[in-house]
Amino acid sequence: MTWEVPLTELTVTEDDVQAVLDCLESGWLTMGPRTQEFEAAFARWLGSPHAVSVSSGTAALHLALASLGVGPGDEVIVPDFTFVATAAAARFVGATPVLCDVVSPERPLIDPEDVARRITPRTRAVVAVHFFGYAADVDALRALCDEHRLALVEDVAQGIGAEVGRARAKAGTVGDVSTFSLFSKNQLSIGEGGMVATADEEIAARVRLLRSHAMTSGTWDRHRGHATTYDVVDIGFNFRLDEPRAAFASSRLARLDDDIARRRAVSRRYRELLAGVDGLEPMFDEVAGEHASHFAFPVLLAGRQERDGFRHALKGRGIQTTWYPAVTELSAYRGLGPLPVAEDAAARHCALPMFASLDEGRQRRVVEAAKTALAPS
Amino acid sequence: MAGSPEIPLFDLRLERDDLDAVAATLRSGWLTMGPRTAEFEERFAAHLGCRHVVAVSSCTAALHLAYLAAGVGPGDEVIVPAYTFVATSAAAVYCGARPVFADIVGMHDISIDPAEVERLIGPRTKAVVAVHFGGYSAPVDVLRDLCDERGVALVEDTAHAPSATLAGRKLGTFGLAGAFSLFSNKVLSVGEGGMVATDDDDVAALTRRLRSQAMSSGTWDRHTGRTDTYDVAELGFNYRLDEPRAALALSRFPRLAEEIERRRVLTRRYRELFAAVDGVDVPYEDESVERSSCYIMPVLVAAERRDQIRARLLERDGVQTSIFYPPTHLFSAYRDPAVTLPRTELAARREITLPLYPHMTDAEQDRVVAALAREVTA
Repeated sequence: MTWEVPLTELTVTEDDVQAVLDCLESGWLTMGPRTQEFEAAFARWLGSPHAVSVSSGTAALHLALASLGVGPGDEVIVPDFTFVATAAAARFVGATPVLCDVVSPERPLIDPEDVARRITPRTRAVVAVHFFGYAADVDALRALCDEHRLALVEDVAQGIGAEVGRARAKAGTVGDVSTFSLFSKNQLSIGEGGMVATADEEIAARVRLLRSHAMTSGTWDRHRGHATTYDVVDIGFNFRLDEPRAAFASSRLARLDDDIARRRAVSRRYRELLAGVDGLEPMFDEVAGEHASHFAFPVLLAGRQERDGFRHALKGRGIQTTWYPAVTELSAYRGLGPLPVAEDAAARHCALPMFASLDEGRQRRVVEAAKTALAPS
Repeated sequence: MAGSPEIPLFDLRLERDDLDAVAATLRSGWLTMGPRTAEFEERFAAHLGCRHVVAVSSCTAALHLAYLAAGVGPGDEVIVPAYTFVATSAAAVYCGARPVFADIVGMHDISIDPAEVERLIGPRTKAVVAVHFGGYSAPVDVLRDLCDERGVALVEDTAHAPSATLAGRKLGTFGLAGAFSLFSNKVLSVGEGGMVATDDDDVAALTRRLRSQAMSSGTWDRHTGRTDTYDVAELGFNYRLDEPRAALALSRFPRLAEEIERRRVLTRRYRELFAAVDGVDVPYEDESVERSSCYIMPVLVAAERRDQIRARLLERDGVQTSIFYPPTHLFSAYRDPAVTLPRTELAARREITLPLYPHMTDAEQDRVVAALAREVTA
C-alpha cells in the first residue's frame, strides 16, 4: 500500500546519484579507492582510528565478535530488546547469546545491573545496543567490562551520531569494537551495508582479513601489481562492500550531521504535539532526545491490545508504524527469558514515522491520527 | 610495476542504460528488496529454465545457503574440488562441515573427476559440489546420476558459468541448487552479488528465508493469530542484494548473450593462435567453447617457468595475468599433509590466466599471444 506518511523516507540528492554514476563509469566496482576514501572519511567523522566497511550491520556484528576471538563455549550478553541480528551474531561464531533485561519500559536500553547478574566464567563480551538511536549506559558498562575483563561491543546500527556517556562521546567510540548499519532504513542509508570501527589495530586488521575470505591480498592489490598470488590463512567470508555503495555512502556522510539535527527537531516537535495526550507516552525524555540520533520515535501505549489497536487505527489513516518483538518472543530464542521489562516494553511500544525530511504538516497528520485513535469512543 | 596494466586481466564497461537504471533506482528512494530484485530473479529463472532464482549478496552466500538447503551440518562432509576459489570450501565450514577435496580430471579438463568423487563418497558425505571452471561444464550429468544413486545432494558452483550449457541445458540446473556470482570480474557483474537457482520449492523457500534473518510472518501468524509482525524460528543471515545492484544486473542482462558470444570469438581466436605455439597448452576442446560462458582464458605452461613468465609479461608488455587458482588444500587454513592431489597441484603450478573481456581488441590479443610465445620459447 501507499502510505500517507511512511515510517521512513529516503532523500537521495543528485550529488549522491552522480557519485554512484562516476563510480560505475570508472568500471572498478569492488574494494578500490572509493571504499578506502569512505572508510577514511567515516573514521574521521567518528573520531575512531579504524573503520572497516562490510556488507551489512549483521556482518559487522559477526566480524566484531570473531575479531575478538569469541567462539564456541563462550557467552555474549545482549539485551532482549533489540533487532534479532544482535543475538544471531553470537550464534554465528558458535557462542551462546545470553539475553539480559532493559532498564525500564520508558528507557528500554541494556541494564548494566542485570548484565552484572548474568556474568559467568564463560562470558566474553557484552553488546550495548543504542536502540532507536538513544544512548545505552556506556559508562557503567565500560566499568563493568573492565572489572570483569570482558570486551564491550557497541551495536550502533540505530545509534549513529548519538552522544553517549557522561563525556558525550560519539556512539561507537567507547566499545572495544563497534558496529554500524547502512541499511535503507537507517540514518546513513545506502541499501545494504555496514561498518566496523575500533581503536585497536589488531582487531581492525582481523576484520579486514575476515571480510574478504582471509586472503592475504585482494583483487585491487593484484590489479595494481602489489601482489601476484595469495594465501588463505583462516576461514573468512565475503562481507565486502562494493565501490558504488562506498561512493554513495561517502556522498551521504557529508549530510549526516545535518540530517541528525533535523531528526532531533522532529523529535522535539513530536514531544510538544503529543504532550498531554492520554494513553500514549513517548519513550525516553527531552534530555535523552537532545543527545539521540533518532532512528525512530518510539512511544508506549497502555498494553499490547491498546498498542495493536492504535497501530491498526493509524494504518487506517495511512500512517505506517512498526514495533520490535523482544528476542525472547522469537521461536529461535524462546526459553531464554523471562525478561519482564523488555517483554513489557516490546508488548506496549510502537515507533512513529521518523525521518529528516518529515515536515510539520505530515507530522501533525500523524499526531491528529494518534489523538483520534486514543480518543474515548 | 605499480599502477594499472596496459592490458588488464578483465575490464568492465557499463553502458549509458546501465547508469540510467541505477540512477532511476536511487532516485526512487526504495533501496532494498523491492520490484527490481523480484524482476531480476524472474528474468534469470526464465533464462535458466528453472523454477526459482533467489538473489543474494554474493556467490559465497549462495553456496552457504545451497549447502544448508542440502542439509549440510556439523560432522558432515562435502566433496569439493580444490581447484577453485576458496569460497567453495569455506561455505562447507560455515555449516560446521568438513570439505573433502577431490582431484580434477586432468590438464585438458580442470573440473572435478567423477571417479574421484565416487571413491570419496562415504557415510558422512552430504553433498558433492561441481565447479564449472572457467565457464566450461563439469560432468554434472555423470555426477547427478552418481549422487542420485548414493543419496547425496549435487550442488553446482556456477560462479563462472551463467548461461553456459551441457547437452542443451543451462548449467546450474542439474543439481539440487546452482550458485551464481555477480562479482565485479565475472561474466555478469554488478560489484558484489550472487544468486541461488533451484527447481526445488523447499530449497527456494529456505534460501529466501535465511537470506533475510529467517524472518517469517507465517509461523508467527499461526502462533499469535496476528498478521502484522514476524517470527524468527531459525538462524538466518543478512544475505540480501539491494535494489541498485538488482537494477544494474537487470540492465546488463539483455546484453549477456552478446557479451558471451564475443568472449567465445576471442577464446576461439586465442586457441587458433596458440595452436601454433609450442609450450602453451590450452585446456578443453575447441568444441566446448560454444557451450562455455568463456569467463577466463586459462593456459598451461612449464611449471618451473610460470612465475617468471608472468612477471615478464607484466614488466615488459604491461599484460596483467592471474592464477586461477592457488588450490584450496594448500592454503594455510586448509592444509592437511595427508591430502595430495597430483593433477590439481600440477595444473595449479602450470596455469596462467590471460586477459579476456568482451571489448578486448584483436590487436591487444595479438600482443598477449606474441608476448607469451616469446617467453615460452625464450
